[in-house]
Amino acid sequence: MIKIVKRDQPSRAIFFFTPVLAIFLTLVAGGLIFFILGFKPFEALKFFFIVPIADKYGFSELLLKATPLCLIAIGLSFCFKSNNWNIGAEGQLTFGAIVSGGVALLFYEQEGFYILPIVILAGAIGGMMYASIPAILKTYFNTNEILVSLMLVYVSKLILDYLVVGPWSNPEGFNFPETRQFSDSAKLPLLFEGLRIHAGIFLALAAVVISWFVFYKTYLGFQMKVSGFSLKTAKYAGYKGKKMIILVFLISGACAGLAGVGEITGPIGQLHREISPDYGFTAIIVAFLGRLHPVGIIFASLVVAITYLGAETAQIFMQIPKYTGQVFQGMILFFLLASDYLLFFKIKFIGSKK
Amino acid sequence: MNTNLKISNVTKIYPGCVANDNVSLEFNSGKIYALLGENGAGKSTLVKILSGVIIPDEGNIYLNENNLKLNSPLDAKKNDIGMVFQHFNLFETLSVFENLIIDSDEERESLREKIDTIMKKYNFSIDLDIPVLNLSAGQKQKVEIIRCLIRSPKVLIMDEPTSVLTEQETSELFLSLKKFSEEGILIIYITHKLKEVMQLCDEVAVMRRGKLVSVSEIKNENIESLANKMVGQNLKTIKKKKAKASSDQLIKITNLNFTSEDPFETNLMDINFSVNRGECLGIAGISGNGQSELFQVLSGEIISEKKSIEFNNNYIGDLSPQERREYLMAFSPEDRLEQAAIPQMKIFENVALNNFKSSNFFNNGLINENKIKEHSKKIISDFNVNTDNIELKSQFLSGGNLQKLIIGRELITSPDLLICFNPTWGLDVGAINYIHETLIKINEQNKSIILISTDTDELLKLSDKISVIHKGKLSKIMNAEEVTSEKLGILMGGAN
Repeated sequence: MIKIVKRDQPSRAIFFFTPVLAIFLTLVAGGLIFFILGFKPFEALKFFFIVPIADKYGFSELLLKATPLCLIAIGLSFCFKSNNWNIGAEGQLTFGAIVSGGVALLFYEQEGFYILPIVILAGAIGGMMYASIPAILKTYFNTNEILVSLMLVYVSKLILDYLVVGPWSNPEGFNFPETRQFSDSAKLPLLFEGLRIHAGIFLALAAVVISWFVFYKTYLGFQMKVSGFSLKTAKYAGYKGKKMIILVFLISGACAGLAGVGEITGPIGQLHREISPDYGFTAIIVAFLGRLHPVGIIFASLVVAITYLGAETAQIFMQIPKYTGQVFQGMILFFLLASDYLLFFKIKFIGSKK
Repeated sequence: MNTNLKISNVTKIYPGCVANDNVSLEFNSGKIYALLGENGAGKSTLVKILSGVIIPDEGNIYLNENNLKLNSPLDAKKNDIGMVFQHFNLFETLSVFENLIIDSDEERESLREKIDTIMKKYNFSIDLDIPVLNLSAGQKQKVEIIRCLIRSPKVLIMDEPTSVLTEQETSELFLSLKKFSEEGILIIYITHKLKEVMQLCDEVAVMRRGKLVSVSEIKNENIESLANKMVGQNLKTIKKKKAKASSDQLIKITNLNFTSEDPFETNLMDINFSVNRGECLGIAGISGNGQSELFQVLSGEIISEKKSIEFNNNYIGDLSPQERREYLMAFSPEDRLEQAAIPQMKIFENVALNNFKSSNFFNNGLINENKIKEHSKKIISDFNVNTDNIELKSQFLSGGNLQKLIIGRELITSPDLLICFNPTWGLDVGAINYIHETLIKINEQNKSIILISTDTDELLKLSDKISVIHKGKLSKIMNAEEVTSEKLGILMGGAN
């Protein structure tokens, strides 16, 4: 007989084991799906998870995809750890990209070392501005940040759409929905000749270190943590709980905005309709898979980044629809949530009593 | 028509705790039975089993020799078992009559007649057509009782019915219960208040840690013997020494008002009082009469006019809790798990919530973990918190240990004034004793206490002066020796 018993104390080992278990279960289920679809499961999984990163170029692409995921997830971890459910990082990314793209277009055909920092800063500010909307509405008008931040995603995408089709569209662009190419001074430098990996990765790594330090070592981080668990306690301890909420949204918005900057000033080099393959949403999975811990998030962003690459390779080589990438992302989150059950409950096998 | 209710070998196991361990009990109509035990002794689980809310793992319930299968509260109702829970199950915005007709299958007219007869018979006077939210707690309870009586039950179970009632309402309730019992309804009365058992009941069953400890007749027991059975050890009774008369004023509240935007909060009106050094001012009242708002105003969670609070010759009405702590005030709020501490955080992190500048928990914005841990260890040993692991999440502390930790955290900075709100609510007798001893000790060290509490006995035991809060207004301040619980009861009910 199997009996499910509640754990007295969530196990620390299981806490770090469940993400691994979730990834394993995702592979098993993925293989099963490939099998049902008529592909050889092992071969398909190989094309999905190994082939794409087998060479230098592939590895650079992996880091390229992991960079925005990691950046956004770091920002989101501030929100999620303090129980603020910002799920609009995609919108903050888009708006950050719009603002920084606008600034980059202002410097069109100009050169100067000062341009890139201004463009980057503009992106962070754009993301913060956009994240402040759900934050302020939540703190002063008691609205639900999940709804507001989610809906604002679509607003930002429509704003971007309007801009690239209308006022900001490239005058020499034959009416394609895109802006001019940014000048080289407004682009993030590439790290290696012939590879697309760019300096944005340093932004992500800096975010990792800073977030770890702030959250675990500073009074500010402690106050954020307390405010997240209970606003009542924060008030009692004398912290400014509402300011904390706004602050975590701003941090998260800045990170998403920076991720947007990284995309448009890195591999894309201009604004167009599709600047992000839903990095902002996928980063939610990354944040949780990484257990909201900075180091965990680095690993999680790499794992999830593979699903983007794998989907493309699998489509090219095996004609598997690229949307399987999203299926894999969904499965990771699903299995992670399911195996989190083991955090609080353990399964006991008991010989049947007779 | 005799009713016989038998509980036979009932066991209910929850993860990590045996709530009922092979409990067998027998009840006969004509008597009032007390089921006595501390919080967590298993009495609530047992009555929930009787009322079909919980299904036992093992054991049977027999009513007049019939084996009952109680799989839902509806089954209990069908089998003539009525239950009045500690927390009322009434729709506040519906009228009394609407509340009563919801779970009745009778026609409106006949139901109304029936209710009228019941009310006449037991001398209840409640307007059936006003919304429930306009009723007092005592009246709401009567509505719940009427709801049971409509079905003419054989068994009526009352779960801690007096926790929200005034002294007067309590004696009215006891009269009704005695009347029901005379009419052949079997009454099971669940409580942890010993005085009530002595007043009301004929037989008493004591539970401790899920087990039935004893069944005896009231006439063979007294308060001390029951208390010892309930706790399982001999309790020393603590008495407060009479305070030395001190005229050194520590805190003075002048014309303090608070108007809330939230309709569920109580406005405070023209609060005036002062506390001298070494004194304990008790503030009594039925919960929801402005205690929580008063606590928040005193702690600085709600800011008021600067001059309305004078502490140690400083005006501090507009200061935040953190700033007030620097003036040597300390606060222990009512809600241990949602306000005073964060269960998901470790013990030492919870200690850091009382951030007193000179304790150096945070230097230049950085956490000084060693300092906090050192401090936490001291609290744990000084205040008898039953653990040696400060890395433990505080959710794994029992209520009593958590409260000791909180009081310890507040007191280790040796404040001049401790403001506490229901400090022993829901604790077991051992922990209550410890907290009471600690509070008395503070007074002996010439420090002051403002004790806001809904427990009259506690107030009478610890206070030097007592005032009663009713609908956001304080009564005049009385010397504790001149006050009786009856008098407090009258004031708590709003009369003068």
